[in-house]
Amino acid sequence: MLLLSYLLLSGVTTGALYALVALGIVVVNKATGVINFAHGELFMFSGFVAWSLHVGAGLAYPIALPLAVAAGFALGVATDRIAFRPLMKADVISLVLATVGIAFVLRGVARVIWGGKADYLAFPPITSPEPVMLGEIMVIPQQLAVLGGAIVVMLIFAAFFRLTRAGKMMQATADNAKAATLVGIRTERIYTLSFGTGAAIAAAAAVLMAPLTLLYPDMGFAFFIKGFAAAVLGGLTSLPGAVLGGLTIGVIEALAGGYIHSSFIEVSAFVVIMIVLIVRPTGLLGVSRVRRV
Amino acid sequence: MLAIRHLKVAYGITEVLRDVSFEVPQGRIVALLGGNGSGKTTVLNTLTGLVKPVSGSITFEGKECAGLAPDAIVRAGICQVPQGREVWPGMTVHDNLELGAATRRDWPGIRSDLAEIYAMFPKLADRKKRYAGSLSGGEQQMVAIGRALMARPRCLLMDEPSAGLAPAIVGDMVDTILALNRRGLTILLVEQNIGVAAAVAEFAHILQGGEIAFSGPAAGLVDNPAVLRSYLGR
Ligand SMILES: Nc1ncnc2c1ncn2[C@@H]1O[C@H](COP(=O)(O)OP(=O)(O)O)[C@@H](O)[C@H]1O
Ligand SMILES: [Mg+2]
Repeated sequence: MLLLSYLLLSGVTTGALYALVALGIVVVNKATGVINFAHGELFMFSGFVAWSLHVGAGLAYPIALPLAVAAGFALGVATDRIAFRPLMKADVISLVLATVGIAFVLRGVARVIWGGKADYLAFPPITSPEPVMLGEIMVIPQQLAVLGGAIVVMLIFAAFFRLTRAGKMMQATADNAKAATLVGIRTERIYTLSFGTGAAIAAAAAVLMAPLTLLYPDMGFAFFIKGFAAAVLGGLTSLPGAVLGGLTIGVIEALAGGYIHSSFIEVSAFVVIMIVLIVRPTGLLGVSRVRRV
Repeated sequence: MLAIRHLKVAYGITEVLRDVSFEVPQGRIVALLGGNGSGKTTVLNTLTGLVKPVSGSITFEGKECAGLAPDAIVRAGICQVPQGREVWPGMTVHDNLELGAATRRDWPGIRSDLAEIYAMFPKLADRKKRYAGSLSGGEQQMVAIGRALMARPRCLLMDEPSAGLAPAIVGDMVDTILALNRRGLTILLVEQNIGVAAAVAEFAHILQGGEIAFSGPAAGLVDNPAVLRSYLGR
């Protein structure tokens, strides 16, 4: 019981972070039809920006967080301007390669700025690292803080997407871009907004995660793969699917690591995804869509 | 008045419109007819800026519109109800209508226009919270028309609004088009259904071979077998 509750809580916490990474991937893919392969590096870079603001410049964590999210948004906008907008009329392969290029550039720049000192930078914990017992359940306050933060980020995003005019324009552009153009929505601006929003969510995930682990310039890819897997599991264009996919992967990893062997952490999620995709090729919450040309 | 002069449009090297000229006088309904693939939709898409013309001019109320961006054309007062309706299926009826006003910021005006559209299409008022994709074809057509009206256009371009509707409700579509025109809207109507075109339009132009091949009063069309046979293939 103690082990199970511990594994579930840490699984849900990691899963919530995967879910945020996946949300960013889905937001961009829904709007533009492109997988942003620089997404993991946007996550990593924003985490380092937060480190510089919090540890380097000594800003309080609650101030460093929104600033890093803003930096993430700006990086996402830059990705759109450099890799997407000039290539919008090109084929998907060129677009994908351009995002891969951005990923390498960000990783290189991060090594130059934050590498060297030590390969791994530690982010100070925000709360006490000591576990507390809540009745039968062992709880690590830091995990609860991260989980709570991730839920808040998801709620803010859901409210933005469902209630604001800009969010509805993003939905409309994703649903049918031609119709969006016909009512006078400037879809190229919506694509920029989607890249920015996706990266901002990734940045929030990085800043929330930072106190739980170490930062290193190559961390982006590992998180990208987990987020991408979560997104695929959820159907690639479903926002609730991304959240469900992230949580599923986080929990499966934790249970496999705890009950089988720690070497199963990395593979277990992918085994499940393969099974899900064989049974339901459109993902858990995906719908098969005919793409309009 | 909407005036189209010597419009030439090509997709790559395929020229679809060679030299198209016609007018839609202020406050009138004009029909644009033609066989499948004759370029009717291309004319409308060029008017709304989705397709850039090779040459030619489009003036609306004296303002040159050829080659403008789609949002600028909506702001200039022209809005299209596209072929196949193209609603946002995953969004509610209400959100579909509201976003029709994407170019506007006069919130009180937007709210009163929404109320007016719900009054005009009471069925949509009952289905505000439903996903547009779950509605019937006729209801989706109302959403598409309502959405275009939310931009407060002075000229409405309608691309085959009766296509795919149950015969029983094609008459409602005729009434809707006439009602919109009575409110002062100038309408350019593309139709496959000659009956609908003849019932609402005063004047008709037939597109063939990239040009206007025939122009005349719309009412005479249904009684003109030669025109029907040679231009529309019936
Ligand atoms: N986006 C496009 N790219 C290339 N060719 C097109 C495109 N849209 C239409 N066409 C071609 O242009 C011609 C006219 O099409 P369209 O304007 O849709 O005709 P209509 O609406 O009268 O049926 C057709 O031969 C069609 O195949
Ligand atoms: Mg057509």
